Amino acid sequence: MSHMDRILIIEDDPETAAAIRAEAEALGCATDHRDTLPSGIEAATSAQYQVIVLDRMLPGGDGVDAMARIRAGGSTALILILSALGRAANRVEGLEKGADDYLPKPFEPEELRARLRALLRRGTIQVLDNDLMAFGDLEIRLKARTVHFRRAHVPISPREFDLLTYFARNAGQVVTRMQLLENVWNLHFDPGTNVVDVHVGRLRRKLEDAGATAIQTARGEGYIFAPLPA
Amino acid sequence: MSSARPIAARATLRLAALMALAVTLLSLAAMALQYRLVETRLMQAQQTLLTADLNGLAALYDQRRIIALRQAIDYRATAATGDEMLLLMDRTGAALAGTRPDWPRTLAPKGDTFTSDNATIFTEGATRWLAVARELPGGFPLLVARSLQPVDDTLAALKRGMLALLAALLVAGALVGGLAARLVMTRINRINMLADRVADGALDARLPGPRSDDEFGLLETHVHAMLDRIENLNRATHRLSDTIAHELRTPLNRMLQKLSKIEGQSDLAADLKAEMRQAIRMFDSLLDISRAEADQGTGGGLVPVDLSATASEVWDLYDPLLEDKGLIAQARITPGLTILGDRNLIAQVLSNLLDNAIKYCAAGDHLTLDLTPQDDRILMRVADTGPGLPDALKPEAFDRFTRAERDRATPGHGLGLALVRAIAARHGARLTLPPTDKGFALEIRWPRLQQSD
Repeated sequence: MSHMDRILIIEDDPETAAAIRAEAEALGCATDHRDTLPSGIEAATSAQYQVIVLDRMLPGGDGVDAMARIRAGGSTALILILSALGRAANRVEGLEKGADDYLPKPFEPEELRARLRALLRRGTIQVLDNDLMAFGDLEIRLKARTVHFRRAHVPISPREFDLLTYFARNAGQVVTRMQLLENVWNLHFDPGTNVVDVHVGRLRRKLEDAGATAIQTARGEGYIFAPLPA
Repeated sequence: MSSARPIAARATLRLAALMALAVTLLSLAAMALQYRLVETRLMQAQQTLLTADLNGLAALYDQRRIIALRQAIDYRATAATGDEMLLLMDRTGAALAGTRPDWPRTLAPKGDTFTSDNATIFTEGATRWLAVARELPGGFPLLVARSLQPVDDTLAALKRGMLALLAALLVAGALVGGLAARLVMTRINRINMLADRVADGALDARLPGPRSDDEFGLLETHVHAMLDRIENLNRATHRLSDTIAHELRTPLNRMLQKLSKIEGQSDLAADLKAEMRQAIRMFDSLLDISRAEADQGTGGGLVPVDLSATASEVWDLYDPLLEDKGLIAQARITPGLTILGDRNLIAQVLSNLLDNAIKYCAAGDHLTLDLTPQDDRILMRVADTGPGLPDALKPEAFDRFTRAERDRATPGHGLGLALVRAIAARHGARLTLPPTDKGFALEIRWPRLQQSD
């Protein structure tokens, strides 16, 4: 990439802002920080950013209500809401009003990094709308909803197929349990038990039974889909 | 709202009837007084006429005794108007002069003076007479009487007029009362309907149109002021929970960030993170409960949700976990059942119930989830054959922080069922704990969404 990705942080808590900045810089991005909503909107509409990390209860208003103004100002940035309003209803509201992702506070740095990475990738990647996703010998056919490894069919359930395609779309990156729950099951609350682990475990076993070692555990963070080239 | 109120304005009608009665009684008393007065006056007038007659006869008698009397009475009898009765008789009982030939049977002569003292009233035919009967010295009975017919006619006419007036008063009272009742009912009904809407959860409901400048307008203004206050309090509650969330999560957030910087003690850090996650979940549950309770009854934020699909999805999410735990689990879900709801809240209900089953049941226990239509409701039943709820705990099973003594070792915070109840109430669903032979069963009857298309 010829230019550095730029991330705008609109956040009134300096410590949180510093934590976000640290994660963003660890991903190789340049960051700008604003601590009120009006100055944040002004910055968002006057320069080009890939991602905007937006707080909700800011001096000057609610970030969710500002999204429309940011978009109207010509910004094409993807918006990640990072807010203390973290109940399911708040999250759904934020996503419905146009946020690209919604992470409740308090957040774990790994979770934020995974989300930022996914957004940055979404911002640059060409949309794959062809039928086939291939990772070495592992082939995923989207229309037929089938998985083959070395041309042998791998029998997986429909939900496991959704799980696998989400992994595949974020190949090479850490994917957190919360992301899986939100994107594969469309559930925006923490069920407390590690229900997701059981599903990932089953999918992983089925793939391994067929010979494909594709999913690794990222300790303390989540999972990485990284099919080893055969 | 939709149920018609069969209550008429009973209170108003009672009041109107009471007023009509009071007015009627007062008028009646006034009329009675007037009647009495008129009667007395008329009687006095008759008495005066009688006295005048007697005085005239007395003057004649003083001059020439019986002869003069006889002449005068004869003269008067020829020009009789019918309003007077005169009779003079001799010792043998033969009429000397008069307007009639015989003495009235019911009357006995008394005294011998020409005064009008102790005049008596006697009735003959249909006519009443005011009479003075004397026996003049020498045994000459004399009768002088005045007809009371004009008095009785006047009084009868007065009575008829009064009765007509009374009837008119009663009719007018009934009319005015009915009209007032209807008017009051219309005005009161507006306010009652508003109260119904508010009770159903529409806190922002208000009466349209301008306030009239009367006591009902004032009542409406007061009700509106009260509703504004309630609405503001409700909004303040919402804001408070948002503020609490913000103020508490920010320091928690800093703690979490710093925790991530600790190196070397990753197990301890992971434990602490897990503890914090647990605390945040509990905190979210509490906020979810109060928000669901505050939103109870309001339709705001609820959209058509495929309950069958949501139940299947959550079941599907937990299915491997149930299997791993060794439960014999079965879901019987009728497809296509829709309610007005919040998908994430519904998922939380099922998630909490299934989570409980996993927590408390042992391998080999049965767990079933049923979703079936039942009249205008959808019955969701989750039942297991685990240890169930201790009987002593049942009454407060849905209260916050209720946990059985025997479960102290099992992780949990006693908010699961409280959240289930709050979410059910938010959706207008009925929650019951049906009796079971063994284990725990819970039924939620969701109001079914009537599809118009």
